[in-house]
Amino acid sequence: MIKDMFKDALKRKPSNELLSNRVNTIRNLLNNEKEISKNYRAMASFIMSSKSESVDQNVKNTLQAVCVTKAFLFEKAGEKYHSIDLGRCIACGRCNEAYPTLIKMERRFDYAFINKSAKTIISSNTSDSPFEKPLNEIGLNLKKRIQKVLRRSISVRAVDAGSCNGCEIEITALNNPIYDVERFGIHFVASPRHADVLLVTGPGSRNMENPLQLTYKATPEPKIVIAAGACACSGGIFGDTYATSGGIDKLVPVDVYIPGCPPRPQALLYGLMLAIDKITSNQQGHQ
Amino acid sequence: MSTDKNRKTAEYTEKIVRKFADHLQSTKEINLNELVINLDNSASIPSVCLFIYSELHGRLSTVVCTDERFNASRSGFVLRYVFSIDNGDDVFIIVTANIQEPGKSFPSIALQIPAALLYEREIKDMFGLVPEGNPDSRSLVLHQDWPKKIFPLRRDFNVDTKVGREPNDYLFTRVEGEGVCEIPVGPVHAGIIEPGHFRFSILGEHIVNLETRLFYTHKGIEKLAENMNLDEALLLSERISGDESVANSIAFCQALERIAEVNITRKAEQTRTVFAELERIYNHLGTLAGISTDAGFAFGSARLNILKEKMMCLNEQISGSRLLFGVNRLGGVGVDLTEQHYVNIIKTLNQVQVSFELLISFLRGKSSFIDRLRNTGVIPIKTAKELGVVGVSARCAGLDIDTRRNHPYADYSKLKVDQHHKTPRDVTRYKVEMQNRVGDALSRFEVRIEDVKDSINIVNTVLNNLSNGDLRVSLDGKLKPFEYALGYAESHRGQTIHWIMIGEDEQIFRYKIRTASFCNWPVIEQAVLNDIVPDFPLVNKSLDLSYSGNDL
Repeated sequence: MIKDMFKDALKRKPSNELLSNRVNTIRNLLNNEKEISKNYRAMASFIMSSKSESVDQNVKNTLQAVCVTKAFLFEKAGEKYHSIDLGRCIACGRCNEAYPTLIKMERRFDYAFINKSAKTIISSNTSDSPFEKPLNEIGLNLKKRIQKVLRRSISVRAVDAGSCNGCEIEITALNNPIYDVERFGIHFVASPRHADVLLVTGPGSRNMENPLQLTYKATPEPKIVIAAGACACSGGIFGDTYATSGGIDKLVPVDVYIPGCPPRPQALLYGLMLAIDKITSNQQGHQ
Repeated sequence: MSTDKNRKTAEYTEKIVRKFADHLQSTKEINLNELVINLDNSASIPSVCLFIYSELHGRLSTVVCTDERFNASRSGFVLRYVFSIDNGDDVFIIVTANIQEPGKSFPSIALQIPAALLYEREIKDMFGLVPEGNPDSRSLVLHQDWPKKIFPLRRDFNVDTKVGREPNDYLFTRVEGEGVCEIPVGPVHAGIIEPGHFRFSILGEHIVNLETRLFYTHKGIEKLAENMNLDEALLLSERISGDESVANSIAFCQALERIAEVNITRKAEQTRTVFAELERIYNHLGTLAGISTDAGFAFGSARLNILKEKMMCLNEQISGSRLLFGVNRLGGVGVDLTEQHYVNIIKTLNQVQVSFELLISFLRGKSSFIDRLRNTGVIPIKTAKELGVVGVSARCAGLDIDTRRNHPYADYSKLKVDQHHKTPRDVTRYKVEMQNRVGDALSRFEVRIEDVKDSINIVNTVLNNLSNGDLRVSLDGKLKPFEYALGYAESHRGQTIHWIMIGEDEQIFRYKIRTASFCNWPVIEQAVLNDIVPDFPLVNKSLDLSYSGNDL
């Protein structure tokens, strides 16, 4: 039966979009496939009806034991409390496997945050509600804001402070013809001296501390620093060791955090959107 | 099958014992294809290693140092030189020697076996053992501002220790002469890539010398693993280099499965094979796109990047992660390939294959593009052999090595999809083809294209013969303290080889990782020597090296 399905799949004429027309741009690059698949693991979250619902002590212990980055927080000023540290979760799904009825893996990508103290998610809606906005809509929204605040485009300088190169792959993907963020006015530049935004990845390795600080100094004011990926937000799986600093914010002031391991291209775009808002609010603050 | 393997290791044992009977303490054959040779004295390391290197044609795959000063059964530091036999015999030879305190030095073999140079410098930094006779006494992994008396991989060093900085200079090789000047590049590069420093000495625009200074992304992965349980270390192994997640986690799981003497199910083996090949395909597509960018041909790169994105979306549909994180589990796999997955994979691969072949024939027809690649970044076969280069970089120079065939793992031993070694005629034809390869960027371009085609074939074949069975088998209680094994896989960059020793309470005692990038980085210094500065990005991209996988 499986073989029959293969035959069908093989018989179907492959879409000959590539090179069939050497001049025109290819439309619908992903062939109307859903942008984000059903299986995508973005972030773990609690399935709870109310914030005050308590979690059993055994469950707490197991959850803390299975989580390699210690993202579960159950203590807060002696109150009943349960939350997941967004900046730490690497979406490995071990907690979801242990308690599928208590924890679910989210498919959203709008998790970027500004204030580090508020970077936890307490509970999510029980209904499955992916962030449905298509890429184009986010992008055009972003473009409007960029034009309003910066008049033309925003210049981004990516700096790797010790990442595993997973985040780099996703940042590079922003420039491929499918995401193509240059059309929204986001321009990746070769020097920090040309940049408005530093997009920093990695846990801040010891050997990159100085280069990162020099890069920060070379960036003209006003500047925004974005920590992209779980490692940059908190040290991630690499933690805080002799060789890493446990998060970029230990080295340079960070304005926006984009969690995820690695953050999807859409998540990076969403983070850039927050960065623009931050520029706006900074400007208002100066006036 | 296993008796055949044992016979092979026995042959090698005999050869070595016949020659060095006086210097050997004992020999042992473990884990089917590992031959452990215990030397009585560290002074006999050079002669034995040189014999294996030059007479038995072993390639130095990795050098593992362990700090066993606090173990009851052993004492001092232990050095293990792992040689891989690539001539068709599935054998690894591990030369083992104890280094007793207080000497804390060992004889260097770097002058005879150049591949050993970096391993010895790494051991000096991380363990404080001095390689006597190594021509390069500079620090490698830990940069110059690291204090001289602290060694992170020793057992008495705590991973959380914050170490101060001692200002110190790092001396680059100076090229002197009229008109020679230096260009320092990095560690923060112009593109969206990882950090590393390159020091060019140039005469006009010709590169006279290139020196690489890496390890900017050193994150202490090996030390970190010693403080983790096995499942956590598996997650860590996926993040050694984000784009090699499947290859590295296969190597990690395999090492533990070999220690536990567990055979995983056929279904799990096949699933691993499928994901390993999917990883190879998306990465090669990305590299081919990168080569196209750096050769100044934006059209090719744009179209190839579309194919790469399609493969990454496919990855996400099947595994939930665009980089295939979470595919491997101890004793098996974490993803069940369902019928829907088969259809998705076959459909996407079919589309990608058709588009890919059209695109490649188009690229090959562009003389300006091909001329840019031809004779750029040439790796002579002698250099490739001496530096122990692996993967695409070796095959482009005419060295026919591929871990999937030389040391089959997962489902590769049962697969007969290798188009180049099916019949004696194929073998001869492939040999001729190998001889025609000159090690330039064009050869690497062609090797990658062949690899993508082969991978698509392998995925199709495996999926058509997918068997049913459990996804995982348990390793509980089978990991005895201080047992060790190798795990290996062929990533898209080449052989990745991990060595794991289990400690007490199923913790990791020592996790030595050597990815293909560690072997392949030194070759870039040689490859650019006949080129001009603007060739460098193209040479670099065509070699496709990982900084993170090298720096650990």
